[in-house]
Amino acid sequence: MEDLILELKKEIIEVLNLEEITPEDIDSNAPLFGEGLGLDSIDALELIVLLEKNYGIKLENAAQGKEIFKSVSVMAEYIKNNRKK
Amino acid sequence: MAIYIQSISQISIQEPLCDNWFENPIYHSQRYVPSIEPNYKQYINPMSSRRMGKILKRAVTTSLNVLHERKDNEIDAIITATGLGCIENTEKFLYSMLENNETLLTPTYFIQSTHNTISSQIALELKCNNYNSTYVHRGISFESALFDAFLQFKLNKITNALVGAHDEMTKDIFTLYDKIGYWKKGDICVETLRKSETLGSFSGEVAVSSFLSNEKNEDSICSLAGMNILHKPTKEKLEETLKRLLEENNLTLSDIDAVLVGHSGDKENDEVYSKTKENLFNDIPFVWYKHLFGESFSMSGLGFYVGATCLKKNIIPKHLVFDSPKEILNPKHILIYNHFQNSEHSFILLSKC
Amino acid sequence: MNDILVTAMGILTGLGLGKDETLQSLINQNSAIGELKHLNTIHSSLPVSEVRLSDKDMLSLLNYNPQNPLTRTTLLGMLALREALEQAKIDKDTPKRIAFISGTTVGGMEKNEEFYLEFFQNNSKDEYISLHDCAASTQDIADYFGGFDFITTISTACSSAANAIILGANLIKAGYVDIAVVGGTECLSKFHLNGFNTLMILDKEACKPFDKNRQGLNLGEGAAYIVLERMESAKERGVEPICKLSGYANTCDAFHQTASSPDGQGAFLSMKRALEDSGLSAEDIDYINAHGTGTDNNDSSEASAIKRVFGENPPYVSSTKSFTGHTTSAAGSVESVISILALKNNFIPANLNFQTPMEDVDLVPAQRTIQLPNIKHIMTNSFGFGGNDSSCIFSKII
Repeated sequence: MEDLILELKKEIIEVLNLEEITPEDIDSNAPLFGEGLGLDSIDALELIVLLEKNYGIKLENAAQGKEIFKSVSVMAEYIKNNRKK
Repeated sequence: MAIYIQSISQISIQEPLCDNWFENPIYHSQRYVPSIEPNYKQYINPMSSRRMGKILKRAVTTSLNVLHERKDNEIDAIITATGLGCIENTEKFLYSMLENNETLLTPTYFIQSTHNTISSQIALELKCNNYNSTYVHRGISFESALFDAFLQFKLNKITNALVGAHDEMTKDIFTLYDKIGYWKKGDICVETLRKSETLGSFSGEVAVSSFLSNEKNEDSICSLAGMNILHKPTKEKLEETLKRLLEENNLTLSDIDAVLVGHSGDKENDEVYSKTKENLFNDIPFVWYKHLFGESFSMSGLGFYVGATCLKKNIIPKHLVFDSPKEILNPKHILIYNHFQNSEHSFILLSKC
Repeated sequence: MNDILVTAMGILTGLGLGKDETLQSLINQNSAIGELKHLNTIHSSLPVSEVRLSDKDMLSLLNYNPQNPLTRTTLLGMLALREALEQAKIDKDTPKRIAFISGTTVGGMEKNEEFYLEFFQNNSKDEYISLHDCAASTQDIADYFGGFDFITTISTACSSAANAIILGANLIKAGYVDIAVVGGTECLSKFHLNGFNTLMILDKEACKPFDKNRQGLNLGEGAAYIVLERMESAKERGVEPICKLSGYANTCDAFHQTASSPDGQGAFLSMKRALEDSGLSAEDIDYINAHGTGTDNNDSSEASAIKRVFGENPPYVSSTKSFTGHTTSAAGSVESVISILALKNNFIPANLNFQTPMEDVDLVPAQRTIQLPNIKHIMTNSFGFGGNDSSCIFSKII
């Protein structure tokens, strides 16, 4: 699980181009949107594609992302249970 | 009603965010020259710059640089000229779409690909809710944007405006436009551009922002005294338009110290200027700038900057004078004459204030 | 005497070619949203509103055999413009200073997305390279008709054509031209379809603007132009004015690159300032042709802004994107023509597919064609990505 969390943090930094942030800067349990990392609706759409590209998980609409992208831990848990690759 | 240029700033293939080129121009020999990038970090925070391509970083930086400490909603209009918009992101989205057969596409490149991303990004940075528009008409993009502001000043709809010209040149676009004759085939130098027997110029990039106001103060660089744009004008129509522009400002042709032209080293392009010189301008010296800045759709935005800088510094340096190698002292009125493929023609009159 | 009048208009959308076909479809509530036919894409199950004519059909309607290839955007524009110029009795010899201002967004993308990779491999498609930029369509359209003294191209995404109208009016008011021919044109492209698809805002069924269960927009294509001039010029030329452009405004939401602010600040300001510009009060407006894309975000935001400007009992509202789809750059002029048809023929066009009111904002649009005895003033909204919001008001000439 820790490996997946680290991998995920690296992927998030890469796809969202978070230039000045390292995986250590991201608290696994902090909210990704709003006060935490401060991501927005476009980032959510980028993360939806990340899920599909890297883990074979396809979300049907953007609203589903809300629950899954609560924090890196929640995201990792979801990936662990639903990944197809 | 008068319009004053209060501040103007550039990022180009000359040293960025300064006027160093005025004394020490860089002469390029390559036909593809990318802009010299400043350090963007002092202007844009990383959370906001992470999605920005080069063109956006340059546009936001030059805009903030001319606006200094102005606050929210103090800018009445943000108007941008861009021939190709955010072309780097357009290409990224297009490639990704073609390579993955319309699957696994992400939105960022798409939303940062449209031409109006530039004006709206500037509005976002400034939190400015006022007039916001974007002009995309090839070599007359900048004049169109400036004309929009000019008309609104005349109609008392605005008291100030941020007008910019922004174009980036990617390798792909360079290659495509090379195929249709936009660039010279080998290395270039000032002399081959001055008296060219061949088509094409060399490519540059443009980021220029200017802040205009109807209030004159100690910062005012010069005034935008008048302008007009014409589509496929006859010789007579061009002459008549120039005459009216001068009359409106109580000037005659002999008051014009220099005509700043878009001479680029492209034989066909340059012939139009020579012909107009014969017809309209006679002995008035021609001044050029594309030998320093290269060619691009909204390049005349840099011409505007060059003209204003000459009036600010009270001299047109020798290296800008096209025909005779002599500097022009204390210029009062500079007429910018630009055309695009002999289809769109424009005059912009800048006067000392 | 100083009013800016509309003296002619031309339109081509999925609803048909010309004002008459458009009017009939609107009154009879026949939507153009349906199956995709011309565009070659893997997303062919997404409903769109396509112009039924192929490129070849359009060339033959124009009786034109061009030397160089033209984009579909250009052809749509030519047909819409021809109708407008004929009604306005304008040809290349009309002795007036005439501007042509066109709004468009992705330029020749519809051709270049087919040939882009080939451009780098061989020279067989090089004649398409110069069609890449936005000005190509404006230039080709202007060359085809001739007679223009000023041309330019505006690109503010989905409000491009509305901003062309605004520039045209300013050019006349400032005395630089006598006549301004203004509007926009945009065809469907894979680039646009996929772009909107990545934002997950395309409805898999016909769009339901302002409905609680709306799922997004349907893309459309089309072109429309209107002719603006003063009474003096119209009289002199023997042209009957249709209505006047009584006010307009352009503002910026300055909230987010794609999302609208929850309270619709940009939209609020554009409607408010257009009213101020016209000298009318909110109560004077009989109908608002909303931007109403059918996305969750736009419709809530726009409805909030309408409430802020017009109070608890706003005039009739509908989104005719339920007929034409979202014609992007052309939407501003397409919906201006639709609004002027409604003004002239005294009806409120329907907001199709509406069933359930939204929960967050209480705004119920007109659900069927409503005939009204005397419509005097109509407002039309055009909002674009980047928060480029514009509103125009058209009024009967009294």
